[in-house]
Amino acid sequence: MKQKGNYLSIKDSREIIRYNIKQMKYYEAEKRKPRTLAEYTAPMKDNNNLIEIDSLKTCFFTDNGTVMSVNGVSFDIPKCKIVGVVGESGCGKSVTSLTIMQLVQAPQGQVVEGQIRFNSGDLGQTEDGRDIAYDIAKTPTAEMYRIRGKDITMIFQEPMTSLNPVFTIGYQLDEVSYLHSPGISPEDAKAHSIEMLKKVGISMPEHTYSRYPHELSGGMRQRVMIAMALAGDPKLIIADEPTTALDVTIQAQILELLKDLQRKQGCSIMLITHDLGVIAEMADEVVVMYAGRVIEKGTAHDIFHNPLHPYTIGLQKSKPMINSNVNEPLYSIPGQVPNPINLPNTCYFKSRCSKCIGKCSGEYPGGVQVSDTHWVSCYLYEEKADTK
Amino acid sequence: MIEKNENPVTEAAPVAEAAAPAPKADEVLRVEHLKKYFPIATDFFGRPTAFLRAVDDISFTLERGKTIGIVGESGCGKTTLGRTILKLHEITGGEIYFEGTNITNLGRSAMKKYRTSMQLIFQDPYSSLSPRMTVGNIIGEAVRQHKIVPKDEVHDYVLDIMQKCGLRPQFYDRYPHEFSGGQRQRICIARALAVKPKLVICDEPVSALDVSIQAQIINLLKELQNKMGLTYIFISHDLSVVKYITDRIMVMYLGNMMEMGDTERIFANPLHPYTVALFSAVPVPDPDVKMNRIILEGDIPSPANPPSGCKFHTRCSKCMGVCAAKAPRYVEVEADHFVACHLYDGEIMEHPDDYDLSPLTVADAAEGAGEDNE
Repeated sequence: MKQKGNYLSIKDSREIIRYNIKQMKYYEAEKRKPRTLAEYTAPMKDNNNLIEIDSLKTCFFTDNGTVMSVNGVSFDIPKCKIVGVVGESGCGKSVTSLTIMQLVQAPQGQVVEGQIRFNSGDLGQTEDGRDIAYDIAKTPTAEMYRIRGKDITMIFQEPMTSLNPVFTIGYQLDEVSYLHSPGISPEDAKAHSIEMLKKVGISMPEHTYSRYPHELSGGMRQRVMIAMALAGDPKLIIADEPTTALDVTIQAQILELLKDLQRKQGCSIMLITHDLGVIAEMADEVVVMYAGRVIEKGTAHDIFHNPLHPYTIGLQKSKPMINSNVNEPLYSIPGQVPNPINLPNTCYFKSRCSKCIGKCSGEYPGGVQVSDTHWVSCYLYEEKADTK
Repeated sequence: MIEKNENPVTEAAPVAEAAAPAPKADEVLRVEHLKKYFPIATDFFGRPTAFLRAVDDISFTLERGKTIGIVGESGCGKTTLGRTILKLHEITGGEIYFEGTNITNLGRSAMKKYRTSMQLIFQDPYSSLSPRMTVGNIIGEAVRQHKIVPKDEVHDYVLDIMQKCGLRPQFYDRYPHEFSGGQRQRICIARALAVKPKLVICDEPVSALDVSIQAQIINLLKELQNKMGLTYIFISHDLSVVKYITDRIMVMYLGNMMEMGDTERIFANPLHPYTVALFSAVPVPDPDVKMNRIILEGDIPSPANPPSGCKFHTRCSKCMGVCAAKAPRYVEVEADHFVACHLYDGEIMEHPDDYDLSPLTVADAAEGAGEDNE
């Protein structure tokens, strides 16, 4: 499928549509096949991890071509840790989280390759002592219903639109109890919901219980969303830009609350944001993504004090800081994020990178493990590792 | 400043009176006691009975080539202030002087002369460009309308402006949907600058953009200011961006000015409890910096039913009895640093017998406000 300039010819366009239909039919048929438990479970590499994402590829079959939104992403979420995922819009951070929840828009969006191993802890162990985990990429939808909203929950970006305006807060909170603890009495469900509202710091929980979402402010709604996410006693909370729509003072409240709850409940949080400040404050480990790939990962200390990839360095330099020098022009990364369709098999950051070397025009760089915790995908460090 | 005054907290008249009535040569804009109230309830005959005070008694002056930043949380009236200055809203009270001319009561046609001198850059570059017009038409439309250059030179003039804003000439015939967010914001900037404005109001120009693109646009705005001698009003909620681009800052809360002064000075020495809390809430991208964060309790009160006295007293950690009763005056604490807070008002702090200075806890204040709301 060759493209001439910005436009597709009718012939190309038809070819793409035919290809897409074929692919979508294939993956949908795969999904419908009955699977045995052994087929959708896999042993964990490390029992201390809650989630292991292994060379995950999620793509969208669009009319303009196939978009590899998530292109070979691998990272782990350890138990009781906050993992931050940073990147610009369109880098695939949200799609990664949706893939973990199996919420990718089908049939256009499909998981093509890779595993997401989720250690629910109730599937026993293999002979060599490794926990058996669900492979979410293959888990049937019926099974997923039990995990989603209970073991893995999600807090969305827009507290305004993610609550249903026609039901009361109480009704929407009770739903979680009814779904995940069948046979619970309405009184118990209500008591549980009110307890959750208390936990997230809502001052009059009984009063709020019977209110509708439009009667609450943005910060309160986000608190209700967090209460809903906590209601099932989750192992992992995916927070997708939880504070982007909120004001700074409310953002400080919500971040403090999330941190506090994480410590008390002992769950893990996958925090997705584009704000480096939020990441620095919250995360234990950081994953930096660019155009669907992980380009650098390490502890928060590694990423903020010893950034290696030119993109990570540029991103940090281009963020104006409250204590930075005002007189120098702000550093900016030239150019734009590349078009995600038909990306070449070279480093995606090549055209914007100031430290480009000859090797960069070759294949997409593999990863280099710089230290025990720090991993980077850039030729600059591959050479240094070789010479050592 | 008069030296004989022993009190470090010098009292001063409100901002507007401090400014001389005769315009200074380099003064571009002077706003005096500007008010914008929106009617929110009407009686049987359609007469307004209740008002939302979006902008309440704001005064400031702006010199040529300088930038004033307006910061505050959502709903504090910063966008309304920007639009009211442009007279896109009917003014409720107060006066606006543009280069010494009172433009408050000018009619539509008389105002047309000033329209080219004041331009607005919108927040969302995706919805502020017409999808049916080419880039050249978008930028050139106002140029033709206002006859900025002769008809036959418009094309070259537009190309020149585009080049200044970092847009390539081949973009002239393209449509907005073909561009990314950063490029679209450049088109918006080019459109605003094409009519040779003196004052540009930037309403959150970078908040819809990614960090790496944000830096490009901020640099472009600064560069154009230096080249063309522009004056900016920069409305934003991102304090780090504001710190970077502005000379002066005005902090707003529920339509009122809380603190105003030189950017450097305010960041070095924020006085108003709200400013202090606002600054401490900004996350710093360094995992080792553990900030002494002041977390404000509660939410922003509804602007339709604001608290009595100082509007911030329901969330203030240093709230006193007098705060709920009396609205604070603007006090000039040091040269060109105004703050509206009883803590810095010499008259109140030095007469503890006349005023109730007992500390009021946040819970008390919130309860009082809560009863009002019911």
